[in-house]
Amino acid sequence: MQLDFAARELTIKLVYYGPALSGKTTNLQAMHKLTSEGSHGRLMTLETRDDRTLFFDLLPLAVKAEGDLSLRIKLFTVPGQVIHASTRRLVLQGADGVAFIADSQLAEAENNRVSFLDLRQNLKDNGLDLKKMPVVIQFNKRDLPGDTIRGDDEIADLARHGREPVYKAVATRGDGVIETFLGLVAMTWSRLDTDHNFSKKFNIRSDSFVASLARQLGITGDPQRLIDASVGTDPRAATRRMESSR
Amino acid sequence: MSAAASSRGGGGLEELTLGHGLRLEDLVDRDALQEVCKSFFALFGIPVRIYAQDGALLADAVQDQAVCQYVQSLREGRAACGATVSAVKSADPGAALEATHPCFTGAVYRIIGIDYDGRRLGRVIVGPFLPADLKEMPRSLLAVDPAIDPVKAKELLPKMPRVRPETVTRIGRHLQSVLDLILFSGHRALLTSQMHLASVKESYRELQEQNSKLSESYERLKELDRLKSNFLATVSHELRTPLTSILGYSEMLAEGIGGELQGEQLEFVQTIREKGEQLLALIKSLLDQSKLESGTMSFKMANVALGEVLDQVGSTLLPSAKKKGVLLEIAVAPRLPTIRGDAERLRQIFLNLAENAVKFTPTGGSVRLIAATDSSGSEPEDDVGYVLFASRPTSVIVRVEDAGIGIPEAERAKVFDAFYQVDGSSTREHGGTGLGLSIVKRLVEMHGGTITVDQNREQRTPVVDAQGRRMPGAVFTVRFPLS
Repeated sequence: MQLDFAARELTIKLVYYGPALSGKTTNLQAMHKLTSEGSHGRLMTLETRDDRTLFFDLLPLAVKAEGDLSLRIKLFTVPGQVIHASTRRLVLQGADGVAFIADSQLAEAENNRVSFLDLRQNLKDNGLDLKKMPVVIQFNKRDLPGDTIRGDDEIADLARHGREPVYKAVATRGDGVIETFLGLVAMTWSRLDTDHNFSKKFNIRSDSFVASLARQLGITGDPQRLIDASVGTDPRAATRRMESSR
Repeated sequence: MSAAASSRGGGGLEELTLGHGLRLEDLVDRDALQEVCKSFFALFGIPVRIYAQDGALLADAVQDQAVCQYVQSLREGRAACGATVSAVKSADPGAALEATHPCFTGAVYRIIGIDYDGRRLGRVIVGPFLPADLKEMPRSLLAVDPAIDPVKAKELLPKMPRVRPETVTRIGRHLQSVLDLILFSGHRALLTSQMHLASVKESYRELQEQNSKLSESYERLKELDRLKSNFLATVSHELRTPLTSILGYSEMLAEGIGGELQGEQLEFVQTIREKGEQLLALIKSLLDQSKLESGTMSFKMANVALGEVLDQVGSTLLPSAKKKGVLLEIAVAPRLPTIRGDAERLRQIFLNLAENAVKFTPTGGSVRLIAATDSSGSEPEDDVGYVLFASRPTSVIVRVEDAGIGIPEAERAKVFDAFYQVDGSSTREHGGTGLGLSIVKRLVEMHGGTITVDQNREQRTPVVDAQGRRMPGAVFTVRFPLS
């Protein structure tokens, strides 16, 4: 988070984390496609020859939020390959929220777990605590054959026991991408607002902040309904829990 | 958040990725920008200048217009021109992307903002040019200096390029999108290189951390090893003292000094002595091992004929070999050079190896001790002076060959480790402590030599075991370099 009080400009950093080939870059590509032309910059991809992310992808979003606050949201992905550990740690520096993109395939369950532990460790190395960090989890690739992926009921059941909102997605079609993003933004905003009292400083109505942001990004549909598409813990409860553990 | 990150020294990178503090001059190559200006000028004939946000000129392609040159030649005209130019330079198009600034000549300047990622990084100034709809020379041109010649001004003004304002707007848009692309590529390149640098630094830091952990544990292991050696030395020494008494008294008993012994009594006493001797040998090798490890073993160096050493080994082992039905052969090359070494330790080396060989060779097999010179590793054939050095022996090699169960390839490097035995069960069958080869290797190394083990491929009379499998045999090769 960076705040330029004089320019009334707030920059938020959100990181899409997850194992290799789980669809982090695809999420950003879909965000680029699904948001209005004026609200996003070019999607910057720093990739290697084999199309894997080398350092990160970056999609900048910029809107005039409520109360004439300029809001910039930088969406980053990290490289999923195990060898890029130091890069992941660097990209994670200063992150305000994390969307963990998990691969729904049963065969990838272990990679999801390893990556999540890696996230926790890298946050810790950056002096951040996963429990106090706004985090949403996305189960991507829901369009794969039913016998190769974790079932809906199972995810819903597991999500009920977890502490963070869980979204289901088919990022290649854009399904669930906006939901994941808005869920994360809602939690992140709530957390930053609690810490820094932005709604008072910038005269923003906190409850309509995300709705206004969604409108500015050209997102159609009722934002709250999109956010509530999560299974298990809903973002508001997750935020309360995150704040109570601070 | 920011505080935690910058405390790890990554503040610069974070600034960069969040897009703060980006400067036009950091993102573009000035020469490339200059070329864009030049080609712009060549295409449209209109002067163009590119300024950074702080007002520094980064690139331009300018040709003074005839009317401008004329005005500048007049005193007051020059002052007015200077004022216009500096007003243009500091004009900011604001939130709108472009603005137009007039000149007293009737010409105009178009000021186009350069925005990247929602931030103003600089501006392009296009002009002066005459708006296409300018009908006649404006009064302001004639009023600028009392000395101005209206006829000349009227003649020179039309030489300035005449452009329709909407055309300039289109050109401006094009220029903006070209610049945006250049800035995007520049930003990406900047991020890539910064990120690369930061990653390398981070990896280096990690390596340093791991290195220091490794060297810490290495130091700890070294200390443990030293403690172990001390322990071995102390224990061996303390064990030897009472054992000497046991051996002495049982010897006296056996000799009948304490009274004549009858049949079984004598047998028992001799067994006590035999086992005592074995125990003493074991303790001696433990002592040797710890002396070798601590580097306190002394050597009496002399020129030693290995042939004699091998003969002594042979005569020591002959009775037990005969008893087992193993053929013992010794073959020493004629005129074998002597080597520098301690005769007693050399005998210990080969006695140990040969004893092992006999121990592991089944009845009917043969054990061979072969000593010869070797000239490998001498000057290569195409080297200068080969004729002088060729076939000069560089080392003496002793091979100890057996016809036993052999040593699997994967185990060969480990057999020289202290207390290591290929197969735990062989200890029970063949005895031994697992110290012999470790001591042998250290003794060989103390002589500047090397020892290796391989399968015995040169067995002349292969032996088969009870299951009918051919015994691969083993061969230990000891090489002593000749100075």
